[in-house]
Amino acid sequence: MKRTHHPLRMALGTYLPILLIVLFAIGPYLWTFISSITPETDLYRAEFRFFPEHPTGENYTRLFTKLDFTSNILDSLLVALFTALLGLGITVPASYSFSRFKFKGRNPLLMQFLIINMFPIMLLIVPLFVMMRVVGIMDTHFALIIAYSTFTIPFSTWMLTSFFNAIPIDLDKAAQIDGCSRIGALVRIIIPVAMPGIVSTGIYIFITAWNEYLYAAILTSSKIRTIPIALQNMIGEFRIEWGLLTAGGIISALPVIILFFFIQKQLITGMTAGAVKG
Amino acid sequence: MGQTPLRKKRDLLPYALVTPALAITIAIIFLPMFQTITYSFSQYILYKPQEKGFIGFENYKAALSDPLFASSLLHTFVWIVSIIVFQFLLGFTTALLLNRRFAGRGIARSLILVPWVTPSVITALMWRWMYDGNHGLINQLLAKFGLIKEFIPFLAQTSTAMGSIIVALIWQGFPFFAIMLLAGLQAIPDELYEAAEIDGATKSQRFFNVTIPMLKPVILTTILLRTIWVANSLDIILIMTGGGPGYSTYTLPVYSYIKAYKGMDFGYSSTIAVLLTILLMIIVTGYVRNILKSQED
Amino acid sequence: MKRVIAVALILLIVGSFAFAQGGKEKTDEVQVVKFWYHFDNPETALNPLIEKFEAENPGIKIEPERISWDTYNQKLLTSIAGGYPPDVAQVKLWWQPQLVEMGALLPLDDYIADWDGKDDIHDRIWELTRHSDGKQYYMPLQMVILYLYYRADMFEELGLAVPKTREEFLDVAKKLTRDLNGDGIVDVYGFGIRGARGGHDWWGTFVLSSGAEFFDANGNSKLTTPQAIAANQWFIDLYTKHKVSPPTTPSDGFVEVIANMKSGKTAMTIHHLGSAKELEAVLGDKISAAPVPKGAEGYWTSFGDEENAIFAATKVPDAAFKWASFLAEAENNAIWQKSSGQVSVNKSNASADADRFLKATTDSAEFAGVLPAHPGVSEFVESLWPALMQQAFAGQITSTQMMQSIEDHFAK
Repeated sequence: MKRTHHPLRMALGTYLPILLIVLFAIGPYLWTFISSITPETDLYRAEFRFFPEHPTGENYTRLFTKLDFTSNILDSLLVALFTALLGLGITVPASYSFSRFKFKGRNPLLMQFLIINMFPIMLLIVPLFVMMRVVGIMDTHFALIIAYSTFTIPFSTWMLTSFFNAIPIDLDKAAQIDGCSRIGALVRIIIPVAMPGIVSTGIYIFITAWNEYLYAAILTSSKIRTIPIALQNMIGEFRIEWGLLTAGGIISALPVIILFFFIQKQLITGMTAGAVKG
Repeated sequence: MGQTPLRKKRDLLPYALVTPALAITIAIIFLPMFQTITYSFSQYILYKPQEKGFIGFENYKAALSDPLFASSLLHTFVWIVSIIVFQFLLGFTTALLLNRRFAGRGIARSLILVPWVTPSVITALMWRWMYDGNHGLINQLLAKFGLIKEFIPFLAQTSTAMGSIIVALIWQGFPFFAIMLLAGLQAIPDELYEAAEIDGATKSQRFFNVTIPMLKPVILTTILLRTIWVANSLDIILIMTGGGPGYSTYTLPVYSYIKAYKGMDFGYSSTIAVLLTILLMIIVTGYVRNILKSQED
Repeated sequence: MKRVIAVALILLIVGSFAFAQGGKEKTDEVQVVKFWYHFDNPETALNPLIEKFEAENPGIKIEPERISWDTYNQKLLTSIAGGYPPDVAQVKLWWQPQLVEMGALLPLDDYIADWDGKDDIHDRIWELTRHSDGKQYYMPLQMVILYLYYRADMFEELGLAVPKTREEFLDVAKKLTRDLNGDGIVDVYGFGIRGARGGHDWWGTFVLSSGAEFFDANGNSKLTTPQAIAANQWFIDLYTKHKVSPPTTPSDGFVEVIANMKSGKTAMTIHHLGSAKELEAVLGDKISAAPVPKGAEGYWTSFGDEENAIFAATKVPDAAFKWASFLAEAENNAIWQKSSGQVSVNKSNASADADRFLKATTDSAEFAGVLPAHPGVSEFVESLWPALMQQAFAGQITSTQMMQSIEDHFAK
């Protein structure tokens, strides 16, 4: 929408509400950050302070020197990235099929993806544990990538199907007249146009895998340790390592936010890519 | 949308395209799920292996006359509706705002992602700490602005516990709606707005006649998927209240989890899970039919 | 088409199972002992102990895995139910009835009979950890006993003496509950009760010492006798009637209970040696300790424990016992306690120059008790007690209803 706005209207109508929403979003995060630089003995005091008298970076140093947080980040990154790639690689064709073809069994198939998503996953853990044991992939990145795919694939299929459905079918037809095969139409037309949807679905998968805890707790042990597992390990029976935990929470959100900052442009460029708008 | 599906008889391509997605989900979920469903017809308490056996619908009968099941069901319903409504409204507003052009848009888009990318365990502990009735930030702020005199024990009283957790979950999940709907908004061609403007449509008319209809498939799908996700989410509740005080924040997944991993009663726990799935199916079937129909039109 | 997919899938799954069976390797030379444990301090590593053990026992390799406390039990159960438990794992006494019932544990009596270190373990620990079937499944690891923490400075300021009985305790708690600045709002509460999960220890101190008993000598429940119900009412009254515990009590876990002591929100609470260091770091001399007060019928405090168990499925029982007994030997146990901050299980480690916290611990040792050996204990601790207690605190159920529910649970 290319219109010029009155500066005051812009300030009240756009900046102010955005500021409020952003504050709501990052408020607890900032508070976590303040906790992470507060010395342990100052955390619980009779008199309340917003900001510590003697801020310290000690928790961050401990996190990386005494604990192996770098390898936790790498494990998480590897798992999340490949879960997203595998998920998109499998579901883009599937969603294209659901969106563009009318075939026997289409609706039941779509429906089954939903139903398996409805079942509480915590009850699937024991059988899954046995399965992974028997196949011999316990405690590997692969085990997590496969396990996460089970709940990201159904989600992603539905999400992408809805994004693809929003794209006029005339585009496919035009491409086919131009001599593209159906797969060619998918690759050259649909994927570029649906890029915002694909990217945001990829982000969804990535974040889900990045934060997943229950499967990681059961299916991995000493070799692979993702961030949520490392964080959970700071909560003891009688003691919470509050400083390490908050520092870890701050650090673990950063890579995704930074990554997203560079990727988010993809959310806009989708429609302008390719001469498809005519 | 008046689309004519590309269709040929005996065409294997559509099947070939969905096969990988189908194979991986069925291979890994189907067997465990089937096994769990059989548990629901069994007496299966983990520490009584010798008593394990088929008992027909006994667990189901027990569940239907279990007052805790009934109250957990009610909580689940309140939980889903309030969270989805507020997450959607807040997320949609955010998406509309972030769809505008303004300086710092990239940063704002990245920052609103913060709640979503923060690991649940941190989210739950942080909110619990902020709600704390003796030292918590929220109480301190309310007192500072003179809104309260005595601190409120948010998570310790049955009247406020559920609402407090719901706020934490709205916080955690609204960026999901914001990002998905933003992606949907981006896919609406500008020409439609321009055409509407030429026809003399006002701003609100453009919103209701162009934005909403164009966004409808994405809106319907995000609400559907989010409902299922929220219905099953339990980590935040477990860490913040553990279902308490009393049973006031028990939802069906929490109940099922506690039965399985605290009570070791996998039979009854599976029954609760199966009933939850069936209820969800009933609720979403009409909704899904609507979506599928709109896709086929 | 669907049928083709289904057949292909079944083949895939069956094939991978068969493959995995054939692919299992056998190692005979080095015995690997898989050991699961949890430590509150994430920086603590077992490495020095493992190195020492492996040097003393060539041919055995320890594969340790530190698991977070929150999922420890769930992971252990999953592994047992799935048929792949570790060889040795750190365990709690209240899990023992279930683990034994599942046939998951290896009885250790024969091993212990041949073990030199057995006489150096406190007799009371052997007594408490022996299972009700007369067999010993658990190897002692550490001792945790709950006692009373109090603010010595506040006691002095008000001229109060450390309470020895339940009545004195209530009196002191009421006097310590004060509005310091006259704004009509209570600033300090006499007693911090843990009302969330894990608070049964606070409850037990006053209720199990005043006539309530899970099972008497004949195995009959004595939870709903008039004395038991009155004792429970007395405990509920601390919060609802006398209001000597903060309004947040129903949701307070150990973090909040300790935080309230640190900030001066509460003047007394119950906890163990594990919190001594952090409380002292903040409060210095102002914090002190004593055994819990006596109830209407006697003393009760919780024996919180850690033991090691060896699982029946282990392929290396001898090596597993070597490791479990190694950790229970005086020298090694002392190293372990340095990380845990708790008390050694060995007689020879009892130190003469105990500080006030360690003294409160050892003074309480003779009356420290445990919950009954019943498979329902785990659920009682984890979900039943907190839910009932919170309902009672909220006035939703009466003392009688609460005790009746507990009795019914254990009658199952």
